[in-house]
Amino acid sequence: MAEAERQVVVEARGLVREFDEGRVKALRGVDFTIRQGEFVAVVGPSGCGKSTLLQLLGALDAPTRGEVLFKGRSLSTLADPSAFRARSLGFVFQSFHLLPTLTALENVQVPMFEVPSTSRDRRRRAAELLEAFGLGDRMDHLPVKLSGGERQRVAIARSLVNGPELLLADEPTGNLDSESSARVLELMRHIHEERHMTLVVVTHDPNVARQAYRTLGMLDGRIIADTGRQPEGTP
Amino acid sequence: MIFLAVVGKNLLHRPTRSLLTLSGIAIGISAVVALSSIAWGFQRSWERADSARGADLILMKVTTRDPMGAPFDATLRDEVMRLPKVTQTAGLLSDLVSIEDSAPVLVFGWERDGFLWRHLKLVEGRWPKDDEENAVVIGSVASSIMNKTLGSKIHIEAEDFTICGVFESDAIIENGCLVMALPQLQRVLDKPGKITYLYLKVAPDITPAEVDGLRKTIKEKFLGFRALTSGEVARNNAAIQLAKAMSWATSLLALFVGAVGVMNTVLMSVFERTHEIGILLAIGWRRSRIVKMILYEATVLSFLGGILGIALGFVSVRLVEVLPWMKGKIEGVWSLELFAIAGGVALALGLLGGLYPAYRASRLHPNEALRYE
Repeated sequence: MAEAERQVVVEARGLVREFDEGRVKALRGVDFTIRQGEFVAVVGPSGCGKSTLLQLLGALDAPTRGEVLFKGRSLSTLADPSAFRARSLGFVFQSFHLLPTLTALENVQVPMFEVPSTSRDRRRRAAELLEAFGLGDRMDHLPVKLSGGERQRVAIARSLVNGPELLLADEPTGNLDSESSARVLELMRHIHEERHMTLVVVTHDPNVARQAYRTLGMLDGRIIADTGRQPEGTP
Repeated sequence: MIFLAVVGKNLLHRPTRSLLTLSGIAIGISAVVALSSIAWGFQRSWERADSARGADLILMKVTTRDPMGAPFDATLRDEVMRLPKVTQTAGLLSDLVSIEDSAPVLVFGWERDGFLWRHLKLVEGRWPKDDEENAVVIGSVASSIMNKTLGSKIHIEAEDFTICGVFESDAIIENGCLVMALPQLQRVLDKPGKITYLYLKVAPDITPAEVDGLRKTIKEKFLGFRALTSGEVARNNAAIQLAKAMSWATSLLALFVGAVGVMNTVLMSVFERTHEIGILLAIGWRRSRIVKMILYEATVLSFLGGILGIALGFVSVRLVEVLPWMKGKIEGVWSLELFAIAGGVALALGLLGGLYPAYRASRLHPNEALRYE
């Protein structure tokens, strides 16, 4: 399908985010669109506004000015941002953010409480994902008993369990060694290719950025570069 | 996984704190259960005593809240006997009297030829011979507490009496009493010709409508008097009402402490789990689900505390009942109603204690909560 024909999933319009009564300007006017199935890396030095941008895309924060549209609808008009996050978004965090009291299998099931599902459905779906991600023998382990790479794979499974349309990842390999990073990256590329998932990844890691087909470069709260390449095998 | 599993794991994550809170609730609920059971037992014992005496109605003065009843002229019984369907009457005078160095004891004066004596079982000795004999019969519990046996002398107010008999009654309260002929007690208390209650028997063929009519007639004919059933007398008894009020006041205090305990525990848990609550909000949990989780945690804690408290209250009262120096003095009443009240109070405690922490948790901003470590 030609790029222009693919649906716009995310559109940022004049995004400004200020803190401390305008003394700190994290975003100074950001505009872009992301279409369905794109794998976008947002790169830039620390403090350039990457994570703030991701939080706005995920309705975890609201812009001071401007708006984010998801499939044409402004996030600021959402009556219940939680429902939007539960059904349409998957989040992957640098620090994994697993619940320490729950096993890997239970952690993956947690978002499913917000969608119609039975206990059996939740267990089956979570187990399928963990099996697919090579964690079939680690399902009943608490996060503290898992390696960093395993935790991040559990977190990715959790982010996908409700079948989201957009996956947002904030430095997904930031706390991982090179071997675990490679495995997580492979997993993310697999998700993008197999599920045609739209991915937005904030990263410092050039290896992560290389996996993406489009890179948004940021500096001082602005997008200074928007470069892309065709996915392998695309005519 | 079910939602309650998340709740349970949160509670089990800090077992010591959960257990301590649960214990606090259990102590509060056990106080409610034990005190209510004893207060109800006190009332039942009075009801049983009045009912065992075989009266259909009890006539009393209602112009006072005196727990022993206000004295009135015993000649009233002649007028009452003339009322239709009244077949027998028996006058009774009672008071709490200091006897030697023991605590005040309930002493009854009964008309010797009245029907009140019939329900008592004489264990040893005999009943007083006549109205002039300085003799008393003593309940089995009073006998053992005061260490007085058949033939012992007992000093009541300014007079010496001989114990001529020991009795037992189905009503636990009577086993801790002394009974003597009515004129003897009237003399000792310096209330000549007075009684505090007049027990009435009515014809066996009387209809409920006729009983109501009789009560109405008594109310109209004898101003300031009322004819009550044994249950009504017990419920109107100021001593019982006082005991119930004290039990509720103590229970409320215990419950207040319990609610503060729950709130403290759950609030601490919310503060400690700010980051986790941030994660839940970030991955799509609605605020209402966070509220539900916190309220469930508080409610599960208080429910379990309630069950433990009911068991603890039950065992405590049973233990007190068999203590040598308490035996026969108190009895607990156990009913589904009491357990349901205790369970309901425990759940209310959890909800009340959990409301504020749940509100606090639901107000967290996911972005800020995620940064909280």
